Amino acid sequence: MKLREIRLKSTIFLLFGLILSGCSSLGVEPWERDLLAKSQMALVADPVEAGLDDHIYFSKEATSGGRSFAGGGCGCN
Amino acid sequence: MQLNERKSATYNRVRNNNVAGVLAAATAILVGPSVKAEGDFWDFSKDWRFDSAVLYYGEQDRVSALEGVFSATREVDVKDVFNFKVVLDSLTGASPSGAIVQPGEQTFTRPSGNGQYIVSAEEIPLDDTFRDTRLQLNAQWTKAAWGESTGSYGIHFSKEYDYLSLAFNGSLAWDFNKKNSTFSVGLSIANDTFEPVGKIPDPFSSMVIDFGQFPTEDDYRAAFNATRIDSSDDKQTTDLLLGWTQVINRSTIMQFNYSYSNVSGYLNDPFKIISTVDGGGIATDHLFESRPDKRTKHSFFWQTKHHFDESIADVSIRYMTDNWDISSQTIDYRHYFWVGNNSYIEPQMRWYQQSAAEFYRPYLIDGETLPEYASADIRLGEFSAYTLGLKYGWKTSAGNDMSVRFSYYKQTPEDTLSSHPGVLNNLEIYPELDAFFVQYSYSF
Amino acid sequence: MQSVSEKLIPKDFGYAGRFFAMASPCECLVESTERKIANRVMHLVSHEAWRIEKKYSRYLSDSVTQKINQSNGAAVSVDEETQSLLNFSDQCFQMSDGLFDITSGVLRRIWTFKPDAAFPTSEQVKELLPLVDWKKVNFSGSTITLPKNMEIDLGGIGKEYAVDRAASILQKEFPELSVVINFGGDLRITSAPKSRKSWVIGVESYLPGVKRGIDLTVGAVCTSGDTERFIMHEGNRFSHILNPKTGYPVAGAPKTVTVIADNCTQAGLLATLASLQGSDAEAFLQKQGVKYFCQR
Repeated sequence: MKLREIRLKSTIFLLFGLILSGCSSLGVEPWERDLLAKSQMALVADPVEAGLDDHIYFSKEATSGGRSFAGGGCGCN
Repeated sequence: MQLNERKSATYNRVRNNNVAGVLAAATAILVGPSVKAEGDFWDFSKDWRFDSAVLYYGEQDRVSALEGVFSATREVDVKDVFNFKVVLDSLTGASPSGAIVQPGEQTFTRPSGNGQYIVSAEEIPLDDTFRDTRLQLNAQWTKAAWGESTGSYGIHFSKEYDYLSLAFNGSLAWDFNKKNSTFSVGLSIANDTFEPVGKIPDPFSSMVIDFGQFPTEDDYRAAFNATRIDSSDDKQTTDLLLGWTQVINRSTIMQFNYSYSNVSGYLNDPFKIISTVDGGGIATDHLFESRPDKRTKHSFFWQTKHHFDESIADVSIRYMTDNWDISSQTIDYRHYFWVGNNSYIEPQMRWYQQSAAEFYRPYLIDGETLPEYASADIRLGEFSAYTLGLKYGWKTSAGNDMSVRFSYYKQTPEDTLSSHPGVLNNLEIYPELDAFFVQYSYSF
Repeated sequence: MQSVSEKLIPKDFGYAGRFFAMASPCECLVESTERKIANRVMHLVSHEAWRIEKKYSRYLSDSVTQKINQSNGAAVSVDEETQSLLNFSDQCFQMSDGLFDITSGVLRRIWTFKPDAAFPTSEQVKELLPLVDWKKVNFSGSTITLPKNMEIDLGGIGKEYAVDRAASILQKEFPELSVVINFGGDLRITSAPKSRKSWVIGVESYLPGVKRGIDLTVGAVCTSGDTERFIMHEGNRFSHILNPKTGYPVAGAPKTVTVIADNCTQAGLLATLASLQGSDAEAFLQKQGVKYFCQR
């Protein structure tokens, strides 16, 4: 393994470790999920509406996906 | 451990069939009498949820579409969810063909080769032959997977008269840190087949237009057929999605996604053309567009939801870059306000901006060497767009959810060229887009 | 003593108040917009919780539990409340054929429930097992004699008992008032609510954003087990529920068992005994005719 590759890998591991340790100090206890448990707090609160929006923008713009998969289209673009 | 397994098989049985009864008597002595419990778990095994919506989409003087969605979800358990969705939409109207606007009237051949359409002077050429009905079916399963992970897989089917799309997806998600962090990996593979009426045009071949130069109908047909290569073509899409969801605190949740997408195969739009113009800006020919047969995209997506006392803010940002030199930024913001006990109002705002594909040209100059690829499809050009929307939702007396939404969408093209030949300087050469949509949703 | 009055949070149904006791966050939901009433409820409930914690915590040196555990084989005379708790524990031992045993706490010396914790050797288990057996305890009604090195721990019923005690105190002072008493997930509703049909109670679930729940008008809910505490051995996952007869965790137990019953002590014991049945947890609860929910 080349030195650069090793350095890159160790940087990635370090970053991942930092994210993990950073995130472990975040969050809530199970009984503090009252607000997060609301259906309106789901990341995609209205999947049907999100699907309709995705279809409109997919057919009018050069970008699709991001939130979820971009593939599996229609003949509109 | 063998010892334990054997022992536990005989040692952990309670022989008493009326433990509950004995306990009731014993606890009455310990803590006094208690009223009979009254209540129940929500019965998820019988719990199908149905969501439906109808959307009308209309562009000024152009396409209008009606789309209906019916979605059924069965949640047996949090790790056992099944969703089935049917989408039916019908589209009629005209859309920009890619040809350049001219000071005089223009005649074009319909994509099928049967008949012509006339575009008035100083009008953006619109192909008015679009008429299509599309049926889409989706099924998605979410199940507990090995270890502590959750697996999800699904299929996608979409069929139009001239188009078929089939896709499969699968993903795995792991929870960490008391389920405050979730890491997910997903893969989706799609195969799309295009089978246009009038077959697939040869890229950069000239549109054959009957101005009376053909002695017979057969001569016209022969000339038209000479521009056609295959009756169908297809493309493959592979998407890879890496996601991280993080609960920040009691009222904030965040998500980061990276996605990689690789599309290869037939990436042209068989209906799109690009005009060649002379030094005076007058169209001399219309060629079928030619796009590369590979596109790789990278997307970065970040979303945050925050629960305020009486409302919820939802912000997301997306950045996309690809090997066609397109990069785009999207900001989406919606804010959910509870109004009274039974209703809510949600303003929605979206801003989008994209740079042009490296091979995007509004037209080509006659006599210059043809570039390797060229397309005048405005969706590959530089433009910005915004959407303003307002949603109002309420609970019916039966306890079901209803909502209506009005949105306005506007695209404004950006002219990246400093000057144009001759007459084109005095014409609006980029098509603008004004659309509005109305949506009605009902869940029960 | 801590004060709880300033922590009252106004809600659409009345007030919510929080305090900490028995290593758990505790909460009361009071269906009354009268701040005075809510204050009184919080005072009564928190003081009862702290009283029971002080009296029976095995960590506090002057607790009854410690006095018994440090008796070194001598007889200890106990008061009326302790007698009724020991009597109840004895009944539970009898009816569960020894699966519920308040002397099993010593097993904690060798078992740590974290995914990467060491799995004890069979020698370690064999060494401790003789110290677990309620039958060896001489309990004569007013005195208890614990063999040397053995321990008792009322942690298995302490929280549930405290909830029920607090509930009966409230039922005496405010018989018509609906209060949800929730000690770290073990909860009881004192009386049916007036402003709505039932209280909606969330159940811990795997995925954030997914709603799970119970509609409860009156009664108690307890959950045994949690999804965080387990030990891995040879690729198998073991819950933190220990079988006092083998000294080992129960194989095949659901991650969590949630039971609805008339009172908290009853719900808690049914949930614990169901967990001890391992893969037969659901069948056991079915036979008992109670409403339950198991997460596997």
